[in-house]
Amino acid sequence: MDIKPIPVPAQGTTLDWQLDQPYRAKHLLLLLLVLAVLLFTGHRTEMDKMVVMTGQAVGNLVGLADDSQVVRGLSRVGASMWPPAFGTEEEVARLTDLDRDQLPFLAKIETREKVEQHLNPDTLEMETSSEKVELLIKPLGYAWTVFIKMLETIEIAIWGTLFSVVLSIPLAWFAARNYTVNHFTYTLARGTISLLRSMPELIVALFLVLAYGFGPIAGVLALGLHAAGFLGKFYAEDIENADKKPQEALEAIGAGKLKTLWYGVMPQVVPQYIAYTLYILDRNVRMATVIGLVGAGGIGQELKGRFDMFQYDHVATILIAIFIVVFLLDQFSARLRAKLI
Amino acid sequence: MIEFQQISKKWPDGTLALSDVNVSIPKGQFCVILGPSGAGKSTLLRTVNGLTQTTGGRINIDGTELTAATARTLRQRVAMIHQHFNLTLRMSVAANVLAGLLPVVSTGRAILGWFEPAHRAKACALLARVGLDPKHLLRRAGELSGGQQQRVGVARAFMLDPEVVLADEPVASLDPKISREILSLIRDAARERNATVLCSLHQVDLAREFGDRIVGMRDGKIVFDGTPAEFTDERMEALYQGAQWEDNAVAEAADLYNDALQPQLVAA
Repeated sequence: MDIKPIPVPAQGTTLDWQLDQPYRAKHLLLLLLVLAVLLFTGHRTEMDKMVVMTGQAVGNLVGLADDSQVVRGLSRVGASMWPPAFGTEEEVARLTDLDRDQLPFLAKIETREKVEQHLNPDTLEMETSSEKVELLIKPLGYAWTVFIKMLETIEIAIWGTLFSVVLSIPLAWFAARNYTVNHFTYTLARGTISLLRSMPELIVALFLVLAYGFGPIAGVLALGLHAAGFLGKFYAEDIENADKKPQEALEAIGAGKLKTLWYGVMPQVVPQYIAYTLYILDRNVRMATVIGLVGAGGIGQELKGRFDMFQYDHVATILIAIFIVVFLLDQFSARLRAKLI
Repeated sequence: MIEFQQISKKWPDGTLALSDVNVSIPKGQFCVILGPSGAGKSTLLRTVNGLTQTTGGRINIDGTELTAATARTLRQRVAMIHQHFNLTLRMSVAANVLAGLLPVVSTGRAILGWFEPAHRAKACALLARVGLDPKHLLRRAGELSGGQQQRVGVARAFMLDPEVVLADEPVASLDPKISREILSLIRDAARERNATVLCSLHQVDLAREFGDRIVGMRDGKIVFDGTPAEFTDERMEALYQGAQWEDNAVAEAADLYNDALQPQLVAA
């Protein structure tokens, strides 16, 4: 094999260049600036206090610190959350339409002795009396209530998603630069999308509860409006970024805009649309549990009520239900997405 | 019959893509446009269906002048076959071919995907004509090979029985054997309908083989116009003369790069 001599660099070859090096003075300065900002804001957001309290909590747990506010608070709540409340007990005497021969599923009637102390007004002494009370015990009564509320939450999420899809499709059409009618409709659609996206669900729900009253209407509208902004933006960007070649082929033979969109763009973007919509459904279920806190229906409303009444065992049941539903939904949407794309 | 009268096209950045193009292509002719890259071949084709707006001159197609008012109806009589096939890849072959009928199908029917039996029969007939096995009918276009995709493209182009077929480098990304098949298909299908074909190519041998006429373009001007027999090797040399500068530039750049790299390789 021939070994060629190494050529002398040709005249005009320059080697006074290098690739971008991201570790220069200005980068160091920027890093220092970021650190300074973090120190300042860290104090304002009480990050220093957080570190101290968390340290105390860890110390308390391993037996080094005597007291920790964090551990005290958490253990108090934690202790009252266990065991979660699944059943209900009601006094039979208060139930007017109970048919003793046909009790509800799994329910049973128990008789307990109820001991009461009361003051005898004549002798001014405490007396103990006991009476027999019949109780209707439903071992899964509260679990059923939570199930129904959870169902309502999922329904709110589904309707919110449906609402947002219906609203966002025309928005996306007008917000896609290559299919909008004119500059005015484009600006209007983009403006609407920005407005919808900039309003958090919780705050919209707060106002809609004032308008429509407590209940799921406010929840559906709040979720739908926010998600319509999100979907409108992403649908529109997908239309804009779709492969231009098939569209050009259809434009060349004079197919109209709508038909070109349907045959040249939609087949390309539909898988992404489904992925976005599934994400929105997923997100709406999670958000639907939250917006109930302001009275917009569903499990959140139940959670807020129990929390305010310090019934943490009921709260525990609700949290378990939310966890199960979100977990199942995650699995479901991941599988559906894998199948469709 | 396509008549270009003093066609010029200036891009917004000032480049002159076409300047004073005068040519008339009689009905039924297979006219090949040859020329180096950037000569304006595609631009000239695209002016015929108004995908590119001219900045001067007139185009008459079978006696109708192409204007903003007539563009919509004229486009239905002018089919186009594209270099990159331009199929909707996630849609079935059948849908892609039927999409060639979109200008004459109502929007409602198009959206419902509900095409008349006659239309579906025509799509099947054309797919058979271009030699695509019926088993591919409901497969996604993206699953087909390049040659098969271009067959679908040809079938789509002939769905409206066009009077003019514009083929923009239809075989640029296909191998020589399939290129010949595709060009024969375009030529024969056009002859059956007495359609005029305007086909840009960059393979000189194919141009000589298929063209009734060769139009040579360079820098937006027509520099040759004649039969394949008249397009001699000297003419070809003249057409592409100096057009290799791009390749030369690439070679020079490669030399420079190698020279710059060598000392480093030694150091390593």
